[in-house]
Amino acid sequence: MSQELIDAITDMREDDALEITDALLESGADPLAVLDDCRQAMEIIGQRFEEGDCFVPELILAGEMLKEISAKVKPLIQEQTGSTEKLGKIVFGTVEGDIHDIAKDIVAFMLDINGFEVYDLGVDVPAATFVAKVQETGATIVGLSGFLTLAYDPMKETVAALKAADLTDVKVMIGGGQIDDQIRVYTGADAYGRDAMTAVSLAKQWSGAA
Amino acid sequence: MSESEDAQGSEFIPSPEFLARQKRVMDAIQLKQPDRIPLILGMGYKLAEMGGITKQALYDNPDQAQELLEQAAALYQPDMIFGAWHTPEPSKALGDRMTKWPGYGLDANGSFQFNEQEFMKADDYDDFLEDPSDWAVRVYLPRAFRELEGLAMLPPFGMSLFGYYNVVQNYATLTLPPVVSALQAMSQAAQAQAEWLGQIIASNQRMAELGFPPMPFLAVFIEAPFDFMSDTLRGMRGIFLDMMRQPDKLLAAQEKVLRIQLKFAIAATRAIGSPYVFIPLHRGSDGFMSLKQFEKFYWPQLKEMMLQLIEAGITPWAYYEGVWDQRLPYLAELPPGKTMGSFQDSDIFKVKEIVGDTMCIMGGMPIPLLVGGTPEQVREHTQKVCQVVGKDGGFIMTSSVLELEGCNPELIKVWVEATQEYGGY
Repeated sequence: MSQELIDAITDMREDDALEITDALLESGADPLAVLDDCRQAMEIIGQRFEEGDCFVPELILAGEMLKEISAKVKPLIQEQTGSTEKLGKIVFGTVEGDIHDIAKDIVAFMLDINGFEVYDLGVDVPAATFVAKVQETGATIVGLSGFLTLAYDPMKETVAALKAADLTDVKVMIGGGQIDDQIRVYTGADAYGRDAMTAVSLAKQWSGAA
Repeated sequence: MSESEDAQGSEFIPSPEFLARQKRVMDAIQLKQPDRIPLILGMGYKLAEMGGITKQALYDNPDQAQELLEQAAALYQPDMIFGAWHTPEPSKALGDRMTKWPGYGLDANGSFQFNEQEFMKADDYDDFLEDPSDWAVRVYLPRAFRELEGLAMLPPFGMSLFGYYNVVQNYATLTLPPVVSALQAMSQAAQAQAEWLGQIIASNQRMAELGFPPMPFLAVFIEAPFDFMSDTLRGMRGIFLDMMRQPDKLLAAQEKVLRIQLKFAIAATRAIGSPYVFIPLHRGSDGFMSLKQFEKFYWPQLKEMMLQLIEAGITPWAYYEGVWDQRLPYLAELPPGKTMGSFQDSDIFKVKEIVGDTMCIMGGMPIPLLVGGTPEQVREHTQKVCQVVGKDGGFIMTSSVLELEGCNPELIKVWVEATQEYGGY
């Protein structure tokens, strides 16, 4: 573990983080250990985000650093892929009629680095596509994002479509914009969340990893 | 949109109801106590739902949209009312890549959406700062509007300073087919825009005759310099990376767009004779950036913009989207009685407590309550808002998003009637 790398990422020193990564890899450090440092750093940033000590700009820059470091590390661990065990499978997307992706991307990213296999279906996703993806992957959790008030009905339809397809064990979380408990009840979802860390803790609870 | 002067042409004699409604709203804006709490209804796509027509049909049939607006006004008896925003026609003519409308990028029943993209790249700042107007026309417009790609062939705009010598060397460029077609697209968009403006003026006149004063506050709108750089230029991801990676350039660009927007807003409000400027606020709310970042990148620029507008005799109407609970003390720095503030998801009672003496507060009814609440909940909430937020005036009741799409018509009725019942002073 390189505390130096973790600190550089969590202090938002992008150039330092990349230089340290290069030096580590050149000196023969285990690429998986480098990724694990990133994961630890992201966990710290996620905690700070949850506690209100860091905000979206930091989250986005951290995401960029992770992307840049992953690109350096990935070629070195190609043969080892698939070795890390995932906590669970989640089908994720912005519901039909809505094209907002920022909240969805942040949540999908946080779920991914917290150990979930995330199938991101993108934006404007019809209910039937969610159902088909759940059937295909055997995912046990569905995340529905929507920023607009018009997302309520497609969310409700998606929840109903999952039930109609006998996927009654699948848990559904909603989030995005104007969402509160009233809307959760209206849509028939199992839970709602206001931020990415809520989504992570819900997913961990539901998959028994909490 | 148009202003009350349109409705007060030589033949128009305002009815007592018209005058009472207008005074009610104006009193609230000036932080006075009207006879009762004014209610402004932004109907938006609710009109299509009421008429059982698609959202696209609402744009395609302005006469039907007008009928539905009149029906809604008759049913709910608000103090001011307005329908769906704008028209997709100019966007269609320009091949607009940043908006999607019912029937343009969305199906006939989709709702208008802004499709944020990085039309300005991270390494465009130097060119932008050197000459924003030239960069806007020759680089930005071709990226943002498909039909304006030909503008990229134009020579630098600064060459106009070369007078006759520029004509000799550069005017032939204007005959190149892509340039010609771009200019034609602009002309088409302008026609469509003028047509829409004509419809709005006619609609305002009709509503005025029915006793409903037009909404004078939406005709001119600008954005906080930070949002301006974010919404139509860098996108949210891009702008947040700029904050971290190139803060000085972002601040310099904000300064430029602050000046440009002020120049526009002051001239435009004078031209139409309506001293209001609408400022929808996007990325400054709680949760996006820290207070420290807000103090550096968002608030000083927004505050300066509002102060300069006020100095020019203009009343800024800011729409504080999202939650602003942590930022309310900043808003209290604004001069009292000079601005209006719409609040979406902020704690409206806290808003009253902290900025009640500073600005006319607008809002009060959360959309989720009108979608999934019970009549009792709606009534109870309305009563509390009227009593607490409406206390001593300076309050206008509206829905939290200035639109009612998806809301239960029965609950809207309960809300409107409760506002009339509990809103009396």
